[in-house]
Amino acid sequence: MAEHTVKAFDEDITRLRGLIAEMGGLAELAIQEALEALVNGDDELGQQVVKRDKKLDALESEVDAMAVRMLALRAPMADDLREIIAALKIAGVIERIGDYSKNIAKRVNRIEGRSRFEPLTLLPAMGELAADMVHDVLTAYAARDPVMAREVIERDHKVDAFYDSIFRNLVSHMVENPATISSAAQLLFVARNLERIGDHATNVAEMVHFAAVGSYPTDIER
Amino acid sequence: MVTDLTSNKAPKMRARDVSVFYGTKKAVDSVSIDIHTDYVTAFIGPSGCGKSTFLRSFNRMNDTIGNARVDGCIELDGEDIYKSGMDVVQLRARVGMVFQKPNPFPKSIYENVAYGPRIHGFAQGKAEMDEIVERSLRRAGLWDEVKDRLPDSGTALSGGQQQRLCIARAIAVEPEVILMDEPASALDPIATAKIEELIDELRGRYAIIIVTHSMQQAARVSQRTAFFHLGHLVEYGETSQIFTTPRETRTQDYITGRYG
Repeated sequence: MAEHTVKAFDEDITRLRGLIAEMGGLAELAIQEALEALVNGDDELGQQVVKRDKKLDALESEVDAMAVRMLALRAPMADDLREIIAALKIAGVIERIGDYSKNIAKRVNRIEGRSRFEPLTLLPAMGELAADMVHDVLTAYAARDPVMAREVIERDHKVDAFYDSIFRNLVSHMVENPATISSAAQLLFVARNLERIGDHATNVAEMVHFAAVGSYPTDIER
Repeated sequence: MVTDLTSNKAPKMRARDVSVFYGTKKAVDSVSIDIHTDYVTAFIGPSGCGKSTFLRSFNRMNDTIGNARVDGCIELDGEDIYKSGMDVVQLRARVGMVFQKPNPFPKSIYENVAYGPRIHGFAQGKAEMDEIVERSLRRAGLWDEVKDRLPDSGTALSGGQQQRLCIARAIAVEPEVILMDEPASALDPIATAKIEELIDELRGRYAIIIVTHSMQQAARVSQRTAFFHLGHLVEYGETSQIFTTPRETRTQDYITGRYG
């Protein structure tokens, strides 16, 4: 892409994109570590995830402030405008993804009798799918690649399928052994959070698509 | 290529393969476009792209430039305005113009507005002329500011007021089309906002074409935008589309500040 006549504008955009990439990296790590903490009952790691979420919140504020300043000072048009609007929305969504991971991490010490739960062994695989979606959507963002963004969207149904399966599994656990209800309910929330992360990765993918070509993928598909 | 975005209505003005030459230099190269009354059309593009030259060919202002020559066809309601025997004075009453620098006559505010209607014989008497002057000044959003000082000189007004006086003057002869060449570029932000508000109010009553260097202004006041580059019409479309998802790379580079 050709450079702007005003060089500082290009520097601002590069910085904005850098902030989004940093947020994405932190969110991806948060998903992985929250699940690791959950599976291993590692409360310390869970606390770390909770603590590090503040960094995501701070980065989101930085993106907001920067985007507002750029809108005010540069009055951007066309792809520049889309770029900044997308960054603004993506930052908000990634912050939410961080919140879901934090929520998972908070549940680490509320699970009893880990070895009895088959769903607990399914969750990391589900988490990996969700984390991969987040990872790949940020690669698509970095590359401004609408095709790759679309591929991420198409993967969301796998996360949804996982959720349905884990949901049924947990319900049958609760029916068979009411003593597990409390822990099973916790895991239900974990699965729900991962499912939401998949949805949010989809939202990011839509914004990546919008920033790149000016339309949402849903405009074409639905 | 003819770009027509609203084919359900006959255009007010129609340009076909219009080229404008200054001597041997081609300033506008075979441009075709339809102009409708329902919306404001903005011409944008870098200096020297031919947009002002093209604008001036809509009421034959280029005739006043010795070595200028216009090829192709421009129609007003289907009538070729370059045909022989065309009454150019009458044409310029129907296709009015507002310039970058406000240019009131060195006469009273009242006379600035009354001059056109008088030479075209629009008013039967003083009362009718008073009515035309008031209506024109009201439409130009200037009436409340000048109603108590109509005998004062038009040149004594502020720049923004002078520009609105020039718009009132153009309106007074009941034009069908108003051409505006950078109408707000010499004005401060408040005066600019008043002109933009005025353009919005006039929309629908007159076909309006505005040439502007301010991309934001084009985005704010127009519903159709045409981007010119090196004499060519590069892209013409709905303003919102041009400024959010331009189709042509040259348009994108220009409006995002990457041009040259």
